[in-house]
Amino acid sequence: MSAKGQVRVFSDYQRDFVESADVVVVGSGPSGAVVAYELAALGRQVVLLEEGPPFTPDDFELDGAFSMARTMREAGLRTTRGTVIPTMQAIALGGGSLVNSAICVRPPEFVFEGWREHFELRQTGRKELDPHFDAVEAFLGIAPTPDEVQGQRNLLFRDGCDALGIDSEPIARNVKGCRGSGECFTGCRARAKQSMDISYVPAAIRSGAKVLTSVQVQEVRAENGRATGVQGQVVEPFTGRRSHRFRIDARAVVLAAGCMATPVILQKSGNLANRSGQVGQNLQFHPGLAVLGVFPDRVHPGFGATQGYQSLHFLREGFKLETLWAPAAVLAVRFPGFGQDLKRRLADVPYSANWDAIASCHRSLGRVRARRGPSMDPILSWHFHPEDVPTVGRALWEIARIFFAAGARKILPGVHGVAEEMHSLEEAEVLRTRAFKATDFVTASNHAFCSTRMHGDPARGVVDELGRSHDLPNLYVVDTGIFPRCSSVNPMLTAMALAHRSSGVIADQV
Amino acid sequence: MPVSWSAIGTLAAVALGAWAVRRVWWGYPPAPPDAKVLSRREIAFLAAAADATYPSGGPVPPSGSEAGVPSYADRYVAAVPPGTGLLMRLLFFLVEHATLAFPAPGRGGRRRFSSLSPDQRGAVLEAWGTSSWFPRRLVFSSLRAILTMGYFADPVVLRALDLAPRAIETPVVEADLLYPPIGAPRDAIRHRPGDLSPIGGAPVGPGAPLHPAYREPAS
Ligand SMILES: Cc1cc2nc3c(=O)[nH]c(=O)nc-3n(C[C@H](O)[C@H](O)[C@H](O)COP(=O)(O)OP(=O)(O)OC[C@H]3O[C@@H](n4cnc5c(N)ncnc54)[C@H](O)[C@@H]3O)c2cc1C
Ligand code: SF4
Repeated sequence: MSAKGQVRVFSDYQRDFVESADVVVVGSGPSGAVVAYELAALGRQVVLLEEGPPFTPDDFELDGAFSMARTMREAGLRTTRGTVIPTMQAIALGGGSLVNSAICVRPPEFVFEGWREHFELRQTGRKELDPHFDAVEAFLGIAPTPDEVQGQRNLLFRDGCDALGIDSEPIARNVKGCRGSGECFTGCRARAKQSMDISYVPAAIRSGAKVLTSVQVQEVRAENGRATGVQGQVVEPFTGRRSHRFRIDARAVVLAAGCMATPVILQKSGNLANRSGQVGQNLQFHPGLAVLGVFPDRVHPGFGATQGYQSLHFLREGFKLETLWAPAAVLAVRFPGFGQDLKRRLADVPYSANWDAIASCHRSLGRVRARRGPSMDPILSWHFHPEDVPTVGRALWEIARIFFAAGARKILPGVHGVAEEMHSLEEAEVLRTRAFKATDFVTASNHAFCSTRMHGDPARGVVDELGRSHDLPNLYVVDTGIFPRCSSVNPMLTAMALAHRSSGVIADQV
Repeated sequence: MPVSWSAIGTLAAVALGAWAVRRVWWGYPPAPPDAKVLSRREIAFLAAAADATYPSGGPVPPSGSEAGVPSYADRYVAAVPPGTGLLMRLLFFLVEHATLAFPAPGRGGRRRFSSLSPDQRGAVLEAWGTSSWFPRRLVFSSLRAILTMGYFADPVVLRALDLAPRAIETPVVEADLLYPPIGAPRDAIRHRPGDLSPIGGAPVGPGAPLHPAYREPAS
């Protein structure tokens, strides 16, 4: 391979350093990787900075908890204050794409209509974004999951939906040659998942980009109303120990550190780009909740694409349904009880499937705040709005219906205050009728947005719809923080399409 | 000789202190020699909690301690950031000693968790898990998550449930020519352009051979 660019890893740093580029991109997740490649391909000098290390297959941990401790910030145990919701962000070359399920969904037009209507946007609809979705999908080979690698766990969901006349579809994913091992969360040993570290980042390097890993950006530098670059320190993988200092001077700065990190960088840069007061505000999640169903025959739940089937049928009502798999230990936490009773229930594992719902909760808002002192970890808070809670209950009921229609003999809804096991739809009826409280659910969400939202009005948003800061003309934000409200579907593809669009604008500027 | 009230008070305080020290600190078995960060008290608590959650027998035979939950938790606490590890250890301390203030049902219920009878331990965990007070349920679910992660790391358990990872050939892709393993120098990159190999292959299914680390040891 002829690499015109280069990549640096922790062992390469021997002293403090200063470099310069046309564009410095902070964060190598789906958003940053797209920008780095597109700009490098257009001939711009690009430096891509990533705090995490590149993971090789030798670095993957098969055990879920130890994998999380290595690939995720705060060992994967990050939670919000207020309403407690666990949420993860990766720390790795490729960001969330290294550990995610590769689900790629274009939001339907009505989602963008809501964005345009409430946030004074003009050019953000399917019509304008489809060329960018097309480009990303073509680059990554995104395609619907074929039946051969679905596995029973996914196909039963399809069967249940079909029986009820609920629309469902195989999930389109950024994979090539998937073997259906169901281990996307701990890293794809089959190298099938086209995570950024094996797709866009190598392409960026081939096009001349310099990729610096194990470097933590701590500040955006600005002078006379313009961003002049970034600075920070080299950090040791896993320990986070800081060493050499660096500075990158650039004509444009692109922040793609993720919706829970970009606001911290701006806040630690003297509250930069925050004339609107919106940096770190408006944090939204897709609270997610899984139901476990047990079937009469073996499901072999460990096999099949990690998440292979979905239903967008209820999207307008506020939720999306999907199949789900994660390391056994992570999912087993769902089995209720203890002692011999729990042991008996474990015998159900080979007969079980997990399906989940993610909810659009526009009223439930939170904040991202920087800590005092040197830490770059955020303080997160979030409140589950009482008017959003019934959406989750409704989603549970629909999952219950699909399970029983697919032939499940029982379900375990995992909700406080109702039966641990339900053996019929009649028993599950309580999921539809009960007035749940937020604390009745154990929700989690790895979809986070809106903390540096786009808005047509500079007084109410951090960036415009092309990702340009309203305050500094050469500062851009391109991660999921710029969503004005949640995307209602899995966010990665939307973030990449928006980043693809921003790349053209940035290229025109430098 | 008349006994002064202050002497009685002192004696009572000493007796109470001795009782408290005995209940809280004494009588724990030694820690295993390979323990990384947890004390013998914490390891004993984890063994008791793991066995109350996952007793021996049933369709998945190993108990929590047979599955190595305490040593897994020890390695896990060592792997997470120090502040998080400290919170986990506080959690262990809290559940281990809460029964001194809020006794378990039955005779001798005012003992630390690891000194209770198996039935009492079960009753205590049930009370935590079904409490109407959310923070109490949260403490329970956090503890249970750690125990469960440890239990489900055991190859015997994973094999019994058909969940053990399978062997997968890892092809060599362009990225493998760029990055050394984490922490290694650049010359640790083992692959050259001639090593590139195609991705894809047959779906991994239940019949696929197990990953070497999860195979049954040859007897
Ligand atoms: C387990 C899991 C499963 C998911 N599954 C899906 C899915 O299937 N489909 C989907 O659409 N979405 C999924 N998501 C969400 C999706 O992965 C994220 O929305 C997406 O990765 C966001 O991309 P991003 O570029 O905005 O941020 P990130 O992916 O978070 O990337 C930001 C990068 O910036 C780096 N960074 C942060 N701070 C600094 C700093 N100070 N200096 C230098 N670098 C820094 C981070 O290390 C990170 O690599 C999942 C997320 C998780 C955690
Ligand atoms: S299901 Fe397995 S083979 Fe397919 S992309 Fe995920 S980890 Fe790779």
